[in-house]
Amino acid sequence: MPTELSDRLQATDAALAARVACGDVAALTPLYQRHRAQVYRFALMWSGSASVAADVTQDVFVHLLTRAGDYAPECGALQPWLLGITRNFVHRRTGADARYVANDDDGEPPGPALDLPAPEAALDAQRDLARLRAAIAALPPHYRDVLVLVELAERSYAEAAAICGCELNTVRSRLSRARGLLARWLDAAPSRANAAKG
Amino acid sequence: MVPLPAPTDLDRSLAALRASVADALPPTATDQAIAAAVARAARRNPQAAGRRTASDRWLAWPLALAASIAVLSFVVRSLPPEAVVAEPAVPSASATAEFMPVVPIADIERAGDAMVVPARLPRMTLAQLGLPVNPALAADAIDTELLVRRDGSVLAVRFIY
Repeated sequence: MPTELSDRLQATDAALAARVACGDVAALTPLYQRHRAQVYRFALMWSGSASVAADVTQDVFVHLLTRAGDYAPECGALQPWLLGITRNFVHRRTGADARYVANDDDGEPPGPALDLPAPEAALDAQRDLARLRAAIAALPPHYRDVLVLVELAERSYAEAAAICGCELNTVRSRLSRARGLLARWLDAAPSRANAAKG
Repeated sequence: MVPLPAPTDLDRSLAALRASVADALPPTATDQAIAAAVARAARRNPQAAGRRTASDRWLAWPLALAASIAVLSFVVRSLPPEAVVAEPAVPSASATAEFMPVVPIADIERAGDAMVVPARLPRMTLAQLGLPVNPALAADAIDTELLVRRDGSVLAVRFIY
C-alpha cells in the first residue's frame, strides 16, 4: 500500500477533516469510507426510503468537502457532527422542516395507516417491520430524531442531545413520548386491521 | 444489582428493525458521486488538492541544488579579477566552518583539479544554500572559500567567520 494512502487511512478523523479544510480534498475519501454506513443507515431509518438516504448521504459528504472547516474537534467526535448534518439534510429532503415546528406539548399526532392489508404471501416478520417503519414515519420529526438516534443508531442520550441541539432531559422526554406513541399505535393496529377485514 | 427490565414487544420490534439495516450501505452510485465530487474539487484547486507527491519531492531537491550552483557560479564568474586568487587546494588556517558540498559528493571526488578560491560573497548566498540570513545584514558581504573546478563551476563552499 502506498505510504501516503496508508497515512490517510490511519489518520484521525480530526486530522483528515483538517486536511480537507486546507484543500487536501483526497482526505475526504477515507472519511467517507469510515462514516458512510452510519450516515446512510441513520437517513434510511429516519426516512424509510433508500433513495432519500442515498441522496442525503451524498449531500452530507459534499457538505463536508466544502465546509470541513466548520468542524471543531474540541467540541466532540466527527461522527455525531456528521449525524447532526444528516439530520438537517434528511429534514430538508423530506420536507419535515416546512411541515413541523417542534413542540413537545402537542397533543397526539395522527396515527399512521397501519391497517393496510399485507399480501398474503408476506412473512409476518416482514409485515411487522413494515408496520413499524410506517409508525416511525408518522412520528413528528423531533420525536423521530431521538428515537432513531437512541434506539436504532444506538447513540447515547448525550450525543442525541448534541445532535438535536436540545437538553438531555428533552431527549429523555421525547424518547418516552415517541415510544409511547409507537406502542399505542402498534397495539391498536391489529384490532383496526381486523375491524377493516370484518 | 438492579435487574434489567424485560424487553417489550416494542423493544423486540426495534431490535429487528435495527438488525434489518445493520449491513445497509449507500449504493454504488453514491460512492461514484462522492468520488466525482472529490475529483472536481481537486481539479478546481490543484495546488492544494493533495500533499506533494513523492516525485514532486524528489524533483524539488535537485532543482534547489541546481539553482544554488548556478547562483554561486554566476557570482564567482562575475567577481572582479582581484577578488579571485587561485590557490592550491589547501584549506586556510583561519577557516572554521566545514565545506558544504553544492554538487553530489561523487562529482567532487572526480574533480581532481579543484582549487580553493577565497571570495567575498553577498550574505544572500547563504539563503540560496538554505542557511539563515539576518535580513538587516543581507546586503553585507561575507568571506568564503569556494572549492571550484578549472572551468569555474563551484563544488563546495565554506564560510569564514
